[in-house]
Amino acid sequence: MRDILRISVPLTIWLASFSAVYGLEGLVCSDRWAQAGRGALLMAWAAAIVLQIVLLLALRSTRFASPSGFVRGVSLALAGVALVATAWTLLPVAVTSLCL
Amino acid sequence: MSALRRHRALTRIWASDPGWKGWFTTVNHTDLGRMFLLVAVTFFVIGGILAMLIRAQLATPRSAFMGPDIYNQVFTMHGTIMMFLFAIPLFEGLAVYLLPKLLGTRDLAFPRLTAYGFWCYVFGGSLLIFSLVAGIAPDSGWFMYPPLSSEIASPGINTDFWLLGITFVEISAICAAVEITVTVLRYRTPGMSLPQMPIFAWYALVTAVMILTGFPPLILGSILLELERAFGMPFFQADHGGDSLLWQHLFWLFGHPEVYIIFLPAAGVVSTILPVMARTTLLGYGWVVAAAVTLGVLSFGLWVHHMFTTGIPHMGLAFFSAASTLVAVPTGVQVFAWIGTIWKGSPQLRLPMMWILAFFVTFVIGGLTGVMVAVVPFDWQAHDTHFIVAHLHYVLVGGFVFPMLAALYYWMPHVTGRKRFFKLGETAFWLIALGFHVTFLAVHWVGLLGQRRRIHTYDEGQGWEVINLIASIGGFVTAIGFALVIVDVAVNAAVAIRGSRDPWRAGTLEWAMPTPPPAYNFASLPLIGSRNPLYEDPDLPVRLARGEGYLGDPSRDRRETLTLEIASGKPAYLVIFPKNTALPVVMAFVTGGIFVGMLLKLYWLVPLAASGVAALVARWVWVLGSRHDEGPQEVGQGLALPLATEVADPPGWWGSLVLLLGNATFFGSLLFGYAFLWTVAPNWPPPGYLQPDLLGPVLLLAGIALSMAGIRLADRRLRRGTGPWLGLLLGLAGAGAVGVAAASLLLGTSHDAHAYDATVWVIGGYVLFHAGLTGAMTIFLALRAAAGYVSGSRIGEVQIVRLWIDYTAAVALLGLGVSWLPGVLT
Repeated sequence: MRDILRISVPLTIWLASFSAVYGLEGLVCSDRWAQAGRGALLMAWAAAIVLQIVLLLALRSTRFASPSGFVRGVSLALAGVALVATAWTLLPVAVTSLCL
Repeated sequence: MSALRRHRALTRIWASDPGWKGWFTTVNHTDLGRMFLLVAVTFFVIGGILAMLIRAQLATPRSAFMGPDIYNQVFTMHGTIMMFLFAIPLFEGLAVYLLPKLLGTRDLAFPRLTAYGFWCYVFGGSLLIFSLVAGIAPDSGWFMYPPLSSEIASPGINTDFWLLGITFVEISAICAAVEITVTVLRYRTPGMSLPQMPIFAWYALVTAVMILTGFPPLILGSILLELERAFGMPFFQADHGGDSLLWQHLFWLFGHPEVYIIFLPAAGVVSTILPVMARTTLLGYGWVVAAAVTLGVLSFGLWVHHMFTTGIPHMGLAFFSAASTLVAVPTGVQVFAWIGTIWKGSPQLRLPMMWILAFFVTFVIGGLTGVMVAVVPFDWQAHDTHFIVAHLHYVLVGGFVFPMLAALYYWMPHVTGRKRFFKLGETAFWLIALGFHVTFLAVHWVGLLGQRRRIHTYDEGQGWEVINLIASIGGFVTAIGFALVIVDVAVNAAVAIRGSRDPWRAGTLEWAMPTPPPAYNFASLPLIGSRNPLYEDPDLPVRLARGEGYLGDPSRDRRETLTLEIASGKPAYLVIFPKNTALPVVMAFVTGGIFVGMLLKLYWLVPLAASGVAALVARWVWVLGSRHDEGPQEVGQGLALPLATEVADPPGWWGSLVLLLGNATFFGSLLFGYAFLWTVAPNWPPPGYLQPDLLGPVLLLAGIALSMAGIRLADRRLRRGTGPWLGLLLGLAGAGAVGVAAASLLLGTSHDAHAYDATVWVIGGYVLFHAGLTGAMTIFLALRAAAGYVSGSRIGEVQIVRLWIDYTAAVALLGLGVSWLPGVLT
């Protein structure tokens, strides 16, 4: 079960952060909520990237890495993918108009 | 014991009942897989006929062939049948038939669940086909957008057929997903660690998890829309705080993963067949596994790209546009792995390979047009035109149907035991491949010229006439090709000569058995050390038939198989499967009463049928287990293993865990809907928020504490050899308290006043249902303990109930908390 978690967690966290930032954008742009602005979105994006980096390092460490070479390879590849996905898919928080 | 005597003994133990009775009582995965495939193909033929009606209508301008009312039903049912009654069930059928054979085991994890899922599929699908024949079929498009599908715009029964029929069919998909997930994780032959798994098993696992997490949003959406239509709960009505965009979110939260749920099994088929056709092994197995997992997860971040024209802020669109372009990368990894596999091997252009090549060409074109529509400005231009129709057909037909035709011709010798003799298949290939491209290249073209989808006719003089005529001719050529495939398969299955056991010289375990396969699959289970055991040990089938593997001794006269530790592939425990029974078909029929009751507004039938299902579930579970400890069992090769009834994580625990993943997604979707309405919907805030008194939260917290502590106390006392009664009583009291707290939500709001009240009603109902369920489970556990089925060593059932209680505690705390929160804050 731990090996399944090693394989599935990085991208699941990407999905959670992606959904959370999308939801946050909805809140930021809603007139029923405090106008937190772009800063909150940028901080959330940065936090998601840091989380993915920590995960990647953890999966490389002797404490959390899988004893199976196959699982270690796949989990590290997926952690790398999740990091790139986090950086790329949430990039719009920095470069596009906020609530237009 | 000779191989022949072993075969006879195992056949007697595992075979379905003879004659017509066997159709209704079988729980055998080979039989059920074939039945699934046959029914799915039947629905494909119906959907195909509807496609021809559409092309006949559009062949000429101002056609009088169909009026708009009929046309609406025809295109809606074409999409609905192909997506829900053909594509997903075909994957289920393939997986049901194939997975245990590929994994080296004797059946799926829950054979009766396989049968129950099949019958739900048949009954639910029949409901939809009945509506078509009766002329009251759904007519709001296969994605059923409100307000078009709401009671105001669609007052008839048509939409209800879709909402209820599809939800009924989705029970089947959830059952199959639970089966497949648990089977791939635990039911493999000894030695099959994760890196030794056949590549199709990885794809099936990813697909099954996607079904578990992708289907619940649609099930929720269907329930909400049906509640709105039946009881006026205004989830999608803007004037009462609802929002029709909520449906689009819920639908596409399902709908986009659905595309990959359809594609990934096909990619698994390609990754399995291609290396065999190229006389080599798959290049980059680990990368392909990583790509499949990536694709599975990324697909959940794409749903809004179906909603680019709904006015969502640019930043939101950009998130999903970026994710939509990113998804091309893992797809590309797979395509390059397949090209590399061809490159390193010696490909042979046999019929399955021809279909794979057709898949490559078609799917890559479909993928490229997918990247085009992932770009927001282009999508704004092409949205709801025939360009999108062509794109989705390139992806779904090229990405699913063509690989499935490869699978058909690859595994047909396995199913029939015959060698294909008549060569109609090659002719059919050219008709389909050419006919398809003629049709849908033309449809792309006419879409770019501006022809809109779902419009029953068009005027002359727009430059569309010739293109549509060409598309229709191509469509009919394609249909003739599919008809030829059916004739080819039928003729070859009936009269072709007997074939050899492994005609393709493949290395995977499904070819290590006689063909057509015996009811028990393997006379004994192998110990394997590679991904292609037959390449390593060509004599393996003979040795297995001689009983030189695990479980080769049938003298215990019961249906036995092994489970493994997930990662290492070490044998874990022995499972005894139930025998043939009519319980699944009866339970599916009674389940149908719930849906028919809702459909015909015979609301008295709904609780009656639900009670019937509950009674049958109790019967279902009661016949499992043992009243005495049997200790470790000899399984061959000098190994003794405990029975599944004598471990803490029996198959039922794993099934529950996996089902709860889907359940949690359902609940998460409900909370998402609540947050969405609160944030975006017009006409908020509601006239008043629910104001909790002190009693509700106190009951909730006390109930959670009692139920969680109670089941743990029961567990501890059982392990110490004393009675679990006090713990179970506390647990029952806890469930009651949680139920009362949840009921206070229903009593404190009016279900049809505002979308807020309606949502709180559904959250309260969800928690109330789970409190009732865990209460019933606790009572059932007490009865089982009293009857001697549960003891300190037979503790698995307690763990299952504990799992459900813990889940209920979590959703009760969260659900009731978010329902009370606005009232507390205001």
